[in-house]
Amino acid sequence: MRFSWLNGRAPSLDDRQRQRLEALPGVASGALPLRDQRFVVLDLETTGLNTSRDLVLAIGAVVIDDGAIQLGQQFERTLQRDNHQVSESVLIHGIGPDAVAAGSDPAGALLDFLEFLGDSPLLAFHAPFDQRMLARALKHSLGHRLLHPFIDLAELAPLLFPQANIRQGGLDDWIAYFGLQVQQRHNASADALATAELALILFSHARRQGMDSFAALEERLAGWRRRQRAQSL
Amino acid sequence: MSKADAFAQAGKTAVLQNIHGTMEFLQKYPPFNQMENAHLAFMVENCQLRFYGSGDSIIKPADGVVQHFYIVKQGRVHGERPHSARRGTETTFEITAGECFPLAALIGERATRTEHLAAEDTFCLQLGKPAFVKLFGVSSVFRDFALRGVSSLLDQVNQQIQLRAAETLGAQYSLDTRLGELSMRQPVSCAPGTPLREAVRLMDEQSVGSIVIVDPEQRPLGIFTLRDLRGAVAGGGEMNQPIDALMIRDPFHLTPAASAFDAAIAMTERHIAHVCLVADGRLSGVVSERDLFSLQRVDLVHLARTIRHAGRIETLAALRRDIHLLVDRMLAHGASSTQITHIITLLNDHTVCRVIELVLEECGDPGVPFTWLCFGSEGRREQTLHTDQDNGILFDAEDSADAAAIRGRLLPLAERINEGLALCGFTLCQGRIMAGNPELCLSRAEWSRRFAGFIREATPENLLGSSIYFDLRAVWGPPEGCDELRREVLRQIDDNRLFQRMMAENALRQRPPVGRFRDFVVARKGAEKDTLDLKVQGLTPFVDGARLLALAHGIEAGNTLERLRQLVARDIIDAQDGGAYEEAYHIIQLIRMQQHQQQARQNLPYSNRLDPDTLNHLDRRILRESFRQAQRLQSSLALRYQL
Repeated sequence: MRFSWLNGRAPSLDDRQRQRLEALPGVASGALPLRDQRFVVLDLETTGLNTSRDLVLAIGAVVIDDGAIQLGQQFERTLQRDNHQVSESVLIHGIGPDAVAAGSDPAGALLDFLEFLGDSPLLAFHAPFDQRMLARALKHSLGHRLLHPFIDLAELAPLLFPQANIRQGGLDDWIAYFGLQVQQRHNASADALATAELALILFSHARRQGMDSFAALEERLAGWRRRQRAQSL
Repeated sequence: MSKADAFAQAGKTAVLQNIHGTMEFLQKYPPFNQMENAHLAFMVENCQLRFYGSGDSIIKPADGVVQHFYIVKQGRVHGERPHSARRGTETTFEITAGECFPLAALIGERATRTEHLAAEDTFCLQLGKPAFVKLFGVSSVFRDFALRGVSSLLDQVNQQIQLRAAETLGAQYSLDTRLGELSMRQPVSCAPGTPLREAVRLMDEQSVGSIVIVDPEQRPLGIFTLRDLRGAVAGGGEMNQPIDALMIRDPFHLTPAASAFDAAIAMTERHIAHVCLVADGRLSGVVSERDLFSLQRVDLVHLARTIRHAGRIETLAALRRDIHLLVDRMLAHGASSTQITHIITLLNDHTVCRVIELVLEECGDPGVPFTWLCFGSEGRREQTLHTDQDNGILFDAEDSADAAAIRGRLLPLAERINEGLALCGFTLCQGRIMAGNPELCLSRAEWSRRFAGFIREATPENLLGSSIYFDLRAVWGPPEGCDELRREVLRQIDDNRLFQRMMAENALRQRPPVGRFRDFVVARKGAEKDTLDLKVQGLTPFVDGARLLALAHGIEAGNTLERLRQLVARDIIDAQDGGAYEEAYHIIQLIRMQQHQQQARQNLPYSNRLDPDTLNHLDRRILRESFRQAQRLQSSLALRYQL
């Protein structure tokens, strides 16, 4: 099945990589209680904000399992990109040309990530951006289609905490609102850790409001989106 | 390094940044700041980071044997146990960032006895038991901490205090030394019938200053010292007379387990230079002033004697410096705050007595017996170097005309004494609670009336008055009148529930400076900005609480800790609570005295105000915990008196 949509544009993968791609699991149903569901919190560093042109430079991921952040299971890879031009985003993520040149081969790094991801749903702050960037990278480097569902914490946070009055806020706004102590921001895995801490707070409140699964959260978010649209019309 | 390895390394380094971030956070707190990096990294890699919303239960007794070790990364955790006096629960402790739990239960492989709740949104690092056990095995720092828990924190505070005081010192001695270890040699003793000449020969041979007279069972009957020999020779004593005619009977004794401190106090109080050690009724040793002196550079007993023999008030004033030195040394060698306040009070008492005697020599005896009273902290034997005068005079009189006449004779003396004490460093009382004030130089009947008025009419001034005057004590002169007054007060308070309730209200006025959301509550503006008052906000709640409960239950003791102990002995307060209050009181007092010593060294005026930010993390935590005990005492009073 996975190969049916692959056409002539398939990137050149070696046999070992193809085997690894084939062995990947599917996607979890999302029906499990939040505490029993493994989540992967993703933070990508990219060459810029244009999702159709810019490239993924680094992948940072933190695991929430058994309702807690597993500090021993973190993922971070810097991807090797040829001729990477230093742009203003280097000021944010601090990945200079040297680190990028020394990074991992993108296909290998992305396969590592997919194996790390397993069947877990993904969480990210401003998830549509990460989702698009990751999907493009996977398609480009592995000819793989990203099917994993995402929840956008930038959307979930104001739904659960309307009293915060943060509408279009960034991660920093929510970090400040909850008084989270973040050690080193703007490194993909440190950002992922801050995002994961935010996720734990949001899950705790979601459970108190009777939403105790990934599916329930998705459902509530869909309703919220409809209402938001109706209001804005 | 191959290219693949280099990639793996780059990835690994990056992942480690989160671990490092967490390690950096932990390295701000004991014991993590003393652990080896590799051990700390192992710990963090095996941790889970968990979130608890405000009010969530983290662990509770019903969860069974504890399976995890927790470190608060952010937020606050409260320990809740069933309330001792009413339904519901009370908060017994608070744990904040960098602190761990539940060590005792984890080490004891049992369930926790206290439910741990998130007091606000809280993140905890959670380490599973297998990793905890491994860490316990490899890291001696961690093991030491885990085994000794919070008491090791208290030790660390004490070590720090000793270290700081030791910086200005260097001597090695301890007043906690057991007397049994001090008197190494066999005591020199003889039978009652021994001739004086023979006894003196024995003393000379052994080059000691005393000989103990014992019966055949080695029970001490009396003691004879070189001082007594001087008296005997001066009186033309016969050298062949038996020693038991000259000895001091029933000599004062302590057990070998008593401390050097106990002996020093006894010698200072009783004006003696030798203390017999008696175990199971038999003489086992003698400790002399000289034995103690080898332990101390500034000799307490010697200092007390110098005070008692000072010829002029100026000499007494100069001796204050030696008292400072003594306190410095005692702090340096880990004396408890009670030992120190006790010694300061003792030396102050000697100074007061000497000032009175010198003034009497100078102005002549007034011809009427009187008792010098002290009130407040001096009355409770809780003086620090920072001391106000709170005193009065008590005398006997036939009627009010007689009282007025006697007062007329005593007042000029009292004023001179107040001035003399001021020269010795006892600050004149701003509220004029001094014997030179005619309102405080009263006959038995007048004091009686005055105190009865306090109890009958609970006005704010009277309540304030009772909180000072009801801690009264006789320092000089016959003590009987003072004892009677105290008993009278106890009888009246016992009957007067309304007065007790007003006193309870009064005792709740000073709130300990800890808030719900921040660790300390400090002054917001003015010269006192960012500071709190260790005495008024920290000690006063304990002092007021203990006084109220003691007075209400007929307990005569005046000292706060003694009151607490007797209240525990009579089941009026729970033993655990009493212990916790005592410890908290010690800590606050110790931090206060430390601050005073530092101020004295820097020639700054004494102040009880402290900026908690100047304390290190450990001291802050322990001080906060101590204030919380004061809060608990207050809430138990509020409950008892339904306020």
